[in-house]
Amino acid sequence: MEFAIISTLNGVTYGLLLFMVSAGLTLIFGMMGVLNFAHASFYMLGAYIAYAVSSIFGFWVGIAVAPIIVGLIGMAVERFLLPRVHAHGHAHELLLTFGLALIIEELIKLFFGDFPVNYQMPGGMRFSAFSIFGADYPFYRIFIGGVAAVMFTALWVLLTRTRTGIVVRAAERLPAMAEALGHNIPMVFMFVFGTGAALAGLAGAVAGAFYPTNPNMGIELGVIVFVVVVVGGLGSLKGSLVASLLIGLFSSFAVGLDWSLASLMGLVGLGDWARSLGGLMTLKLSSISATIPFALMLIVLLVRPAGLMGERN
Amino acid sequence: MAAIRNTLLLAALLALLIAVPPFLGLGWQNALVNILIASLFALAFNLLIGQAGLLSFGHAAYFGIGAFAALHLMIAIEDGFPFPTPLVPLAGAVAGLLIGLIAGYFATMRSGVYFALVTLAIAELFHSLAPRLEAVFGGESGISTMRMPWSGITFGSMLEIYYLTLAWVLICGLGLWAYTRTPFGRLTLALRDNEQRVRFLGYSTHSVKVIVFAVSTMLTGVAGSLQAISNETANYSLFASDVSAQVVLQTFVGGSTVFFGPVIGAAIFTLFSFLVSDLTRSWVLYQGLIFVLVMLYAPSGIGGVLQHHLRTRRQLDWRSLSGLYLLALVGGVLITAGAVFLTETVAVLFGEEYAVARRNAGGGLPDYQLFGASWNPAGILTWLLPLVLLAGGGAITVSTRRHISAFWNSKGQSPDTSAKPISLGGAA
Repeated sequence: MEFAIISTLNGVTYGLLLFMVSAGLTLIFGMMGVLNFAHASFYMLGAYIAYAVSSIFGFWVGIAVAPIIVGLIGMAVERFLLPRVHAHGHAHELLLTFGLALIIEELIKLFFGDFPVNYQMPGGMRFSAFSIFGADYPFYRIFIGGVAAVMFTALWVLLTRTRTGIVVRAAERLPAMAEALGHNIPMVFMFVFGTGAALAGLAGAVAGAFYPTNPNMGIELGVIVFVVVVVGGLGSLKGSLVASLLIGLFSSFAVGLDWSLASLMGLVGLGDWARSLGGLMTLKLSSISATIPFALMLIVLLVRPAGLMGERN
Repeated sequence: MAAIRNTLLLAALLALLIAVPPFLGLGWQNALVNILIASLFALAFNLLIGQAGLLSFGHAAYFGIGAFAALHLMIAIEDGFPFPTPLVPLAGAVAGLLIGLIAGYFATMRSGVYFALVTLAIAELFHSLAPRLEAVFGGESGISTMRMPWSGITFGSMLEIYYLTLAWVLICGLGLWAYTRTPFGRLTLALRDNEQRVRFLGYSTHSVKVIVFAVSTMLTGVAGSLQAISNETANYSLFASDVSAQVVLQTFVGGSTVFFGPVIGAAIFTLFSFLVSDLTRSWVLYQGLIFVLVMLYAPSGIGGVLQHHLRTRRQLDWRSLSGLYLLALVGGVLITAGAVFLTETVAVLFGEEYAVARRNAGGGLPDYQLFGASWNPAGILTWLLPLVLLAGGGAITVSTRRHISAFWNSKGQSPDTSAKPISLGGAA
């Protein structure tokens, strides 16, 4: 019971973090058809900018400034770089952002070194939110989840309850028509891209203080986020929320389970035979928890290739 | 006429590749082996994006699989299994083909950007699983073995490895080229251009894609096993995303629309990393910058630009053009110098050694050494020099670029826009 509750809490907070990053990615894709490969790099950039700023001006200034700077960088990319390759098709847009991701990672290594930097939450936030079964649950995890929840609500209200949201959704559905009605669609695109990048930057700034901040955090999270959008279906916010939570929960439960294929075979009396085979058979689920999201993706591809909430291919 | 000239050109190149290496040093021979392997890898990768319109971000997986398959076969040969050493890459081919069939079945369920993401995820699957499977991938340290002699050839010298690699790369490269001429190769092109129509003609596009994917991974496996033969060792880092990234960079800088374009990119990048990787730690950053610049200004890559010039060479007025190109070259060199100076300065100033020097100097900003001179980090000259280089080079390049594009426009075609867009195999 203890394990189930702790794992659920961890899984939901991690899932919400994944959602913070994948929301921007899927928003941008749904609108412009551009898969921003550098999106996870924006997440990493957010963490490093927050680290650099917070070491001078304090933690909260870092959290506030990082998304703004990352958002501006995102806008610049959308304004000055993407239009140049637009004529050459989506493949070139994807490749351009792929190159940007590489450059951002290398620039971070250049300025901050290959090793993790010491980006920490302020001491005042290092307390336990509550104790459960004798174990303290860190408040900061709840904080990460809370930021994501607030962000999702704000985004949802903005998109469905305001005039701006109507224009954005119109621009997503029929850009030419929305433009003909007098809306500045290129500006809308730029701001959506900037907002998506800023959300990733915010996620990085918040999560970097809890998880390790190192030059690999971009690609590590990026791969999981890509799995999320494949599972959830690109362009669907709801889909990416469901997929994020699903992957968060699966990963956090897998860390604590010592199941293996051999113990599964043990249920039908083949346990000893499977254990004698070794290899894949005796691999514990906990030791391959990093593999779980990919396995989940393969299963979803088999069962429902379009993703959980995606439209048919 | 053109066919004969091309054949002669290829024969001359082949003669050079055969005759020159014995006179080169060990380091160069090793570099040539790496260039050949990278070329085959890039050619196999380009079968997917250049021919079938499928962009894979996870080809490291099949490169690694090929390497490990070859190593296991070599270990078996060491234990007395009678198998000729020169045919070891066959193990990589078979392993690449089998894994490619399975992975391709999943990956080609989706097309467009999804395909790219799924291939990336499959490579990460291998990368995260490999260190856990001690028996197959040797854990974190990997596995290693020895090349066994075969019928008088010891495979002890680099030169023998070079000729073995050359033979395999040539066979596979020519095979790939011949493949593009077959009806099935044409079908691959059709898949890129209009998948809907191919399906309408009665082909199962999913099966065709799986087969193309498997052919590509098979040759990637051969490239991986050639590297295993040359290095005699491999570990799970072969599955890492930077291996996949390398081949993407090389292919597109070289030009994915031209058959031999990827070879140009692979040769240039591998050669440069052989020459400069000792001098700088920022080599990957430069690669990324080159890649982004190529994407922005010459989307068809070096090969595409070369091909364009070859095609129109009779209409070109080289007297006016060569001056412009020379000017553009000067601008490019100035920009490069400025960018390299800035990058290396940052690398020094933010490096650990400089942090130690600062501590020793009591927190001040001591001078640092770069390019054989001493620079003051707070000095104006230190920052003015790269900025002047960048601004001057930028001004020259922008104005020459305008002239060059005016020149091409007067010819009715520009090398920039002549690049056909690469479609991503149907709608996303």
